[in-house]
Amino acid sequence: MGSTPYRILLDALDPGAPAETDLPELDHTPDPWESSMQATCECLSWRGTLDNLDRRHAEDALGETLYHDFPVHTRPAVVTAHELLDRGVITEEELRARMDAVRARLTRQ
Amino acid sequence: MNRTFGIGDRVTVKNATSMFHTRTQAYTRGKTGVVVEFRPDWVIPEDEAWGRDTPERGGREEPFYVVRFKQKDLWPNYTGFDVDTLETEVAQRWLDPAKENAK
Amino acid sequence: MTRTHDHDHDAHAAIQSSSGVNEFEVLEQAVRELAIEKGLFSAEDHRRFSEWAESIGPSGGSKLVAKAWVDPEFNARLLADGTEACKEVGIDWLDPTGVGTPSDYTYFYVLENTPTVHNVIVCTLCSCYPRPVLGMSPDWYRTPHYRRRLVRWPREVLAEFGLHFGPDVEVRVHDSNQKSRFMVMPMRPDGTEGWTEEQLAAIVTRDTMIGVAQPKADWTATSSPSAG
Repeated sequence: MGSTPYRILLDALDPGAPAETDLPELDHTPDPWESSMQATCECLSWRGTLDNLDRRHAEDALGETLYHDFPVHTRPAVVTAHELLDRGVITEEELRARMDAVRARLTRQ
Repeated sequence: MNRTFGIGDRVTVKNATSMFHTRTQAYTRGKTGVVVEFRPDWVIPEDEAWGRDTPERGGREEPFYVVRFKQKDLWPNYTGFDVDTLETEVAQRWLDPAKENAK
Repeated sequence: MTRTHDHDHDAHAAIQSSSGVNEFEVLEQAVRELAIEKGLFSAEDHRRFSEWAESIGPSGGSKLVAKAWVDPEFNARLLADGTEACKEVGIDWLDPTGVGTPSDYTYFYVLENTPTVHNVIVCTLCSCYPRPVLGMSPDWYRTPHYRRRLVRWPREVLAEFGLHFGPDVEVRVHDSNQKSRFMVMPMRPDGTEGWTEEQLAAIVTRDTMIGVAQPKADWTATSSPSAG
């Protein structure tokens, strides 16, 4: 593996978010975007881009290292994006541009 | 493929070099437990991982077993009680008959 | 591990506060849109899995347990063939693709707790979980913290969840490293005599079916921790 974290992903983290520690504290009711991300992960695996087992191993490896400040429930999103970037499936520029567009759409008055 | 082991047989997990994409956990290697259940003939994960996920695609099927270990046999200085156990599923190729005087 | 990036806190704080939008929500949508545009999967694929992910939850598992508690013949069927018995409560392990999801397979086994055996489930390799009957796994279940420690120090981990057993109870850990998926059938607690299946299902919470908790007659899945 041996990659570096992507700036676009590091920027998503809220520096004020409290750290989770003990197991029972890590209980959290999923938001709709989390269910949607799970579906995306399944589709990426089902249609052959990123196997679930590889992605879960990456969640462990990267979640404990490059993205260790991120809440556990964000790992599927952050690590999937990282893997797609690492494999050249998407580029940082593409992702940044799309995130800007999505954010603008979501905040449009 | 014929089933080599029966329910109640004591078996030892092979200490084979870790094959890429194996699902046989490191902590079970070289450890002895007892077969408690059969599982169906499944394509081995070593083949599945390379897209050979069905026999038609070259995936090798073999019997799987549920093996139960005593926790005190799995871990040095196990801190629980003697009755505690752990069960996991192992492919036939990863098992040897337990030696008569194995612990 | 140190990270040495310049984090522009002011600009970042501005994004969070001015838009009020969750950045991970933005990331998720961006990734999904790009993936669909690049043909990695279709919007219809995603819709099917999304619908399925939203439809599953622990109520399926609770129904199985409650039914098994009141009906000994169903109990026997459930223990003999978990996948088949699930259909009796409307759960089909072949959903949503017709052959199951890429992760859940179709080999489902229910582990019955007894006065001398307490079962608890884990997947050390990758967090496999019986999603069709329990829904999405809890965050803690997926952490290396839980997965590495439950197999090695099970009683310590159970104690963190408030569960303690004496030396006469076998704590049996199931590491679902292959195709099987497991769910624990907890023991029916005292004080529930004559209850309906619905009442019983309400006390069979997700954690009791993973094995880190036991059902109580006075505690339901929807109880607030500060109630009572």
